Amino acid sequence: MKLHFTDYLIIAVYFLFVIGVGFIIKKRIKSSNDFLNSNRSIPLWITSLAFISANLGAQEVLGMVASGAKYGIMTVHFYWVGAIFAMVFLGVFMMPFYYGSKARSVPEYLSLRFDEKTRALNAITFAVMTVFSSGISLYALAKLLEVVLHWNFDMSIAIAAGIVMVYTFLGGLTSAVYNEVLQFFLIILGLSPLVIIALHDAGGWSTIKTQLQPQMTHAWKYMATANENPMGINFISLLFGLGFVMSFGYFCTDFLVVQRAMIAKNINAAQRTPIMAAIPKMFMPIIVVLPGIIAITLMQPALQSKGFSIPTNEAGELDYTMTLPSLIAHYYPTGILGVGITALLASFMSGMAGNVTAFNSVFTYDIYQAHFVKNKTDHHYLNVGKMATIFGILFSIVTAYIAKSYNNINDFLQLVFSFVNGPLFATFLLGMFWKRTTSDGAFWGLLAGTLTAAITHGLTLAEGKGGWIAPMFVIKSGMGQAFIVAGFSWIGNFVTTIIVSLLTKPKPEIELRGLVYSLTEKPKMAVSKWYTKVIPLSILLIIITIILNIIFF
Amino acid sequence: MLNKLNKLSFVIGLFFFIISLLLLANYLTERDQTQQINLYVGLLFLAFGGVMMLLKNTEE
Repeated sequence: MKLHFTDYLIIAVYFLFVIGVGFIIKKRIKSSNDFLNSNRSIPLWITSLAFISANLGAQEVLGMVASGAKYGIMTVHFYWVGAIFAMVFLGVFMMPFYYGSKARSVPEYLSLRFDEKTRALNAITFAVMTVFSSGISLYALAKLLEVVLHWNFDMSIAIAAGIVMVYTFLGGLTSAVYNEVLQFFLIILGLSPLVIIALHDAGGWSTIKTQLQPQMTHAWKYMATANENPMGINFISLLFGLGFVMSFGYFCTDFLVVQRAMIAKNINAAQRTPIMAAIPKMFMPIIVVLPGIIAITLMQPALQSKGFSIPTNEAGELDYTMTLPSLIAHYYPTGILGVGITALLASFMSGMAGNVTAFNSVFTYDIYQAHFVKNKTDHHYLNVGKMATIFGILFSIVTAYIAKSYNNINDFLQLVFSFVNGPLFATFLLGMFWKRTTSDGAFWGLLAGTLTAAITHGLTLAEGKGGWIAPMFVIKSGMGQAFIVAGFSWIGNFVTTIIVSLLTKPKPEIELRGLVYSLTEKPKMAVSKWYTKVIPLSILLIIITIILNIIFF
Repeated sequence: MLNKLNKLSFVIGLFFFIISLLLLANYLTERDQTQQINLYVGLLFLAFGGVMMLLKNTEE
C-alpha cells in the first residue's frame, strides 16, 4: 500500500484535531475532578457515543474483523449475545448504585459496599488489565503502520503513544471522551464505504452463503456440539462463558466503560447512556464482522480473480489481524485511503485513551489516595492524575511488545478479560443483590475466582496456548478457551463468596442503604416520553436483538 | 468562531467538512474511474459536516 500526499494530509488534519481538542479542553481543567471525572457534566449524546467508542478500540475493529474471517458469523455473538443484554442490565439495575452512591470509580463502590482490601484488589487487577488492553491497541497500530506505511515498529509505538499522551495529558477524561465521539463518527463513516464496495465485489450476501461452509454463515445452527463450528465451543459454553460471565463482567464492572456513564449529568442520563449506546452497538457487526466474512469469501477459489488475499505470518498461517488493512489497501484509492487509515488510527487512539483515562482515575483515587498519600490538596491529586497518565502510557508500551507474540489479538484480550472481569461480576452480582454478602466473602471470592481462572488456563490447551500445569483438555480455539476460563472463574468466585459470607459477619443494614438493591429506594423518573424511559427502551432493544439472532440463526 | 470550537458538534462538523474538501479536491485533480468513490464519500462528508456544524446543541 502506498500513501500519497492527500492521504498524509488527511492523517495530519486528524492529528491536528485530536491534539486541538486537548488544548480546547485544557482551559476547563481546574481540579482533579475535572481531569479525572469530567465533573459529571457531559451531555447524554456524548456519553452514549463515548461509551460505545471506548470499546471500539483497535482490538475491536481489527480483532473483530479478524474473528469474522476466522470464525465467520459466529463473531456476532460478541454483540447480540455478549453485549446488548449486559448493557441493558447495566443501565436498568446497576447504574443507580454506581451513580447514586457518588463513588468516583468502580473500585470506590467496592470500598463503600465492602472494604478497602476488596477495593485494592480490584483496583490493582483493573490497572494491570487496562495497561494490557492499552498495549494491545498500541501494538495493533504500530503493526499497522509498519505494514502499511513501512514505518519502523518501535518508532511507530513512540509516535502513536506520544499523540495520545498529549491530548489525554492536556484535557484528561473530557478530552478523551470528546475525541472518542469524533473517532466514533470517523470509524463508522470511514469504514462504511469499504463494506459496501467489498460486499458488492463479492457478489452480495447470497454469494457469500454459497461460497463459504454453512458453519461460517449461521450464528446458532452449528452450536449443538463444539466440533461442529469453527470456534470450537457449544452453545452452553457460549451462553454462560460469553453471554453471561464475560459480557456482564465487562460491561457491568469494567470501569473503562462504566466511567462513560458515570460522568453523565444526572441519574436518568447515566442509566440511559449504556442503553442508547446499545442501539449503534447492535449494528456494529456490519462494520466490524461482515468485512472479515467478505474477506474470507474473496479468497475462495471461485473468487480468486478478484485478486484479494490475507497475508500470512512467518509460520505460513493466515495473519487474520491484517484482514482489515488488506481490504483497505485492496479497495481504497488515494484520498479515501487516507480516511480508511485514519479510521484505523482513530480506533487505536479511542481504545488506548479510554484505557489510560480509566487507569489514571483508578490509580489516583483507589491506589494512591486510598493507600499511600491521603488528605493532600486537590492540586496535588490533579498532578498525580497527570503523572499517572504518563506512566500509564509508558506501561502500555511494555505490554505492546508482550501482545506481539499472539496471532489474533482479540483472543489475547479475551484471555485477559477472563482472568479479571470473569470473577469480578460474581462479586458485584452478590454484593448488589444479596445483602448477606460480606467483605471477607467478596475478597476471598475474588482471589479464588482469579486462582480458578489461572488453574483452568493451566489445564486447557488451545492453539498452543495455556496448558502450563498439564494440558489435560484440548480446546479448538483461543476464543473458546477464554469463555471456559471465564465460566470456571465466575463459578469459583460465586461459590467461595457465598461460603465465606455465610461464615462471617455482614455489615449492618443501615450501612448498605443505597448500595444493595433490596435496601435502596428505586429512583422515580420525572420523564414523560416513552423513549426517555429506561424500561420501554430496554424492552425494545431486547426484542430487536432476539429478532436479529433469529434472522441469522 | 472561536467560541464555536467549544461545541463538540461544531468541531466534528468542521473536521468532516475539511476532509470532504480534500476528497473532492483529489477527485477533481485526478479524474479517473477509481476516484468515483472519493466523490461520493466527499459529498457524504460534506453533508454530514455541514449538518453537524449547523446543529444547535443547547446542552453543551
